[in-house]
Amino acid sequence: MNYRSVSVIGIGETKMGRLPDRSLRDLIAEAGNAAIADAGIDKSLIQALYMGNFNAQYLAFQGHMGSLAAEVLGLRNIPTVRTEGACASGSLALRQAVIAVQSGLYDVVLVGGAEKMTHRDTETVTTGIASAGDFELEASVGVTFPSVFAMIANRYFYEYGNAREAMAAVAVQNHANGALNPDAQMQKEITLQKVYDGVKISDPLTVFDCSLVTDGSAFIVVAATEVAKKITKQKIIEIIGSGHAGDYITAAQKESLTTFAATINAAKEAYTMAKVTPQDIDLAEVHDCFTITQIINTEDLGFFPKGKGPEAVLTGKTARVGGVVAINPSGGLKAKGHPIGATGISQVFEVVKQLRGEAGPRQVPNAKIGLTHNIGGTAATCVVHIFREAK
Amino acid sequence: MKATIYTYTVIRSSTIDFKDKTPYVAGIVESEEGKVAALIEGYQEGMPISIGQTVVFSHLDAKGNKVFRFE
Repeated sequence: MNYRSVSVIGIGETKMGRLPDRSLRDLIAEAGNAAIADAGIDKSLIQALYMGNFNAQYLAFQGHMGSLAAEVLGLRNIPTVRTEGACASGSLALRQAVIAVQSGLYDVVLVGGAEKMTHRDTETVTTGIASAGDFELEASVGVTFPSVFAMIANRYFYEYGNAREAMAAVAVQNHANGALNPDAQMQKEITLQKVYDGVKISDPLTVFDCSLVTDGSAFIVVAATEVAKKITKQKIIEIIGSGHAGDYITAAQKESLTTFAATINAAKEAYTMAKVTPQDIDLAEVHDCFTITQIINTEDLGFFPKGKGPEAVLTGKTARVGGVVAINPSGGLKAKGHPIGATGISQVFEVVKQLRGEAGPRQVPNAKIGLTHNIGGTAATCVVHIFREAK
Repeated sequence: MKATIYTYTVIRSSTIDFKDKTPYVAGIVESEEGKVAALIEGYQEGMPISIGQTVVFSHLDAKGNKVFRFE
């Protein structure tokens, strides 16, 4: 199939964190305007807006997020759409944008995500997040979202051996990376012991095995590569691979809880389109909603054989420097933060920064090919993108 | 009806509706009817739980979901 090549020409994001004084409008304005300024284009070139958001209707009483973002950013009457696929809402927006630009429908579009979460109490946020699973069959019997991944961890231990130390090492590594990222919510290094001693959420997960509750927003400008070369002086980062796959929403229906079929299938589509193999990837922002998830993702993306993810972390193979593939140099959902609908776009922000060579103290050496991996719910939705500087 | 534990966890941070029940055990249990997510009642702090362990059907909750209990 001969689609048009698509690239990222501008990126912007807010600092992630507990931002009680900032509204959704405020967060969108900062990140969206930053992305447009970064591309150095006139706003009038933007033909459509794709906006990822998971839960503003429940947590902030705000629907119609596409239209809201267009008004905030002064984009007048362009078409907008909000995409929702739980924690994959942001990357779904990019996937739709890629399809629209590939097809020739649009030349330049804006893609964003935003979420405001920290103003609600823990039980309300937990209840909202539980809607990423099946509310009738899971949440209503007492199953929380973290508890599903705790069950996945226990099943992983049963099938492949205890990975508790490796899970804690994931948290330690991501916090160390986050400490170098000015946009990260957590900028403190932690120890293995601190992870073990954290407040227990759902055994074996402590609070340090869980991603953060975060306010934040991220935007990117996406353009047809042939058009990009005419309108921006910015380094053009081509989206060489795009994949999107689904799986059963309930954990009980899945064929396996330790291999995510949606990741396998989305990755296969993206690798095939990009004509690269997992071994070609220099850095990857993977969906570490929980520490066990990062380990499973690095296996499912083909970086390490099944069951070898824990050993890979413990032997430094996922380290930012000197490893096989740098995993979550931004700090990931664990330390950078997880503003749910913005997360998929915030992952792209990091990969583009790295491929441009602009990541400063957290720069991955020789970063040529980067990957983003974003899952929604219990890996019921997965979107993978692969990036490289355009020729 | 008996079922075996496919996987499980002790939940200590819950949604609004289950706030008064923590800590409690939920899991995926497997029987001839297939796998289902379920509450497993009768957990006491520190008791050993393992995958493959047998649990017993207790009752249907108000919404018609199966609730199991430890033997």
